[in-house]
Amino acid sequence: MPERTPHTEVEGAESSAFVAWPIELDGVTVRYPNGVVALNNVSLSIAAGEMVSVVGLSGSGKSTMIRTINGLVPATNGTVTVGPHTVTTLRGKALRELRGSVGMIFQGFNLADRASVYQNVLVGRFAHTATWKTMLGMASSEDREIVLRALDSVGMLEKVWGRAGALSGGQKQRIAIARALSQEPEVMLADEPVASLDPPTAHAVMTDLERINTERGLTVLVNLHLMDLARQYTTRMIGLRAGEVVYDGPATTATDADFEAIYGRPIQSRDRLGK
Amino acid sequence: MTNTLVLPPKPRTWPRNVGVVLALAAMTLLTTLPRLGGVEIDLGSIARNWSNAAERIGMLLQPDLSILPRTIEPMFQTLSMAIVGTVLAAALAIPLSLWAARPTNPNGLTRRAVRFVLNVVRAVPDLVYATILVAMVGVGTLPGVITLILFDVGIVVKLVSESIDSADSAYMEGGRAAGGTQTQINKVTALPQSWPVIASQVLYSLELNVRISAILGIVGAGGIGRLIDEVRGFYRYDALSTIIIEILVVVLIIEVVSNYLRKRLR
Ligand SMILES: Nc1ncnc2c1ncn2[C@@H]1O[C@H](COP(=O)(O)OP(=O)(O)O)[C@@H](O)[C@H]1O
Ligand SMILES: [Mg+2]
Repeated sequence: MPERTPHTEVEGAESSAFVAWPIELDGVTVRYPNGVVALNNVSLSIAAGEMVSVVGLSGSGKSTMIRTINGLVPATNGTVTVGPHTVTTLRGKALRELRGSVGMIFQGFNLADRASVYQNVLVGRFAHTATWKTMLGMASSEDREIVLRALDSVGMLEKVWGRAGALSGGQKQRIAIARALSQEPEVMLADEPVASLDPPTAHAVMTDLERINTERGLTVLVNLHLMDLARQYTTRMIGLRAGEVVYDGPATTATDADFEAIYGRPIQSRDRLGK
Repeated sequence: MTNTLVLPPKPRTWPRNVGVVLALAAMTLLTTLPRLGGVEIDLGSIARNWSNAAERIGMLLQPDLSILPRTIEPMFQTLSMAIVGTVLAAALAIPLSLWAARPTNPNGLTRRAVRFVLNVVRAVPDLVYATILVAMVGVGTLPGVITLILFDVGIVVKLVSESIDSADSAYMEGGRAAGGTQTQINKVTALPQSWPVIASQVLYSLELNVRISAILGIVGAGGIGRLIDEVRGFYRYDALSTIIIEILVVVLIIEVVSNYLRKRLR
């Protein structure tokens, strides 16, 4: 087991210097090359350190919206601002640096199954590492430290040398969270992070995200299609329907009628995760 | 059972099948017409030369083992050509495979350029490479090794890049979202992800190399093939038989070992 410095010291230093970033969308439209308008003139602003859910049916544009925030999907019109960066004008190295400050987790985890857990989490250090150093396999002792600490914070340190593919779904999502945390991001995006997990694991992962928001102070934006998860874990909810914002308000007190308006149909049992 | 099943009408396939058979028959007939420059298949020549053939087959059936000590050195030469060729080819094929596959090289221009060059490399038969290289760099193992490298790179890059193309590459998005360059993503995630197929194709190319390098000597590119050429020149079919059996045994051993290793990779 590699040497590690005591936990508390570094964490205290981190939180004192840490400032989360706000997110701002101004008249954002995304039209895919096949003509589908996935986002239609969306404007919203999320304050630094907020924990916000984006709720909507499948196809309502949740993934598209979250991907415009780190430039994985370019906006056809409008401006996306994240902290000091205007994402919609960034290209190449500047865009990669912005992505380095924005962690992201996915429904399908997006891990390299045959690579080790360590290598998968090291991916989070890409934006902070020169390409030639990565080519030579030279991770700095600082990178190594950050990777191990990220794994420890999601309780997966013991799996560090195992293959990512050998883990369960919940464990894989934890590794993906560690990958995002090792970026030392200012913002965390999550695209339906619990949609392929069983209910207890889903709650555990949502709790991890909640802690990232409350303990580390990151701005967290999470796509969900289940109403009870949005109510339980987030403070503010944005409802999307057919690429447009149809709800923006508190999550905890959102009524069933509010959800019916977002879904555009009566509530069904599959709109809830349950216990 | 109360009601019988109502099947949708079965599509008729026999007219198409008959058409295919007729087309094949016509093609075979046309290509064997001497008037059209077709291949002449003279079955009669087998009967006319029968005594000649029988004599040689007789010699092949009585292997002359006295040649064995002389085969050892060229056989090792053949094996080392095959191994050196495989190792160098693998070193070239790994980056080329990543450049030739879409997920690991989104740039269409360089991807198509690599693919085009490799298509050309693959289109040239190995004996043509060997013959030209012998003329260029002289008789010996060097032209043989270069021939093997060209041949191996051609097939390994094709098979590996096609497998990368068809494999799930969602993990790429994880690296891209973290702000990685394509090279970083390839090194840390795509390479371990493709490792089994790379290792498997490299072992397969080693098998092929042993077979190919056994005959490359016939055109002067070193190894046991040179000895084959020599004994054949002296009509020593009994000695030739020993060499053929030896090659067979070596190829089989390599194949068994490589098959075993490739199974373990899965
Ligand atoms: N790459 C793409 N190319 C074309 N259309 C797309 C693409 N991605 C998503 N879409 C379309 O955009 C709309 C919104 O999709 P998406 O953002 O994935 O919604 P959600 O995440 O809410 O299910 C859908 O109609 C979908 O079919
Ligand atoms: Mg989606």
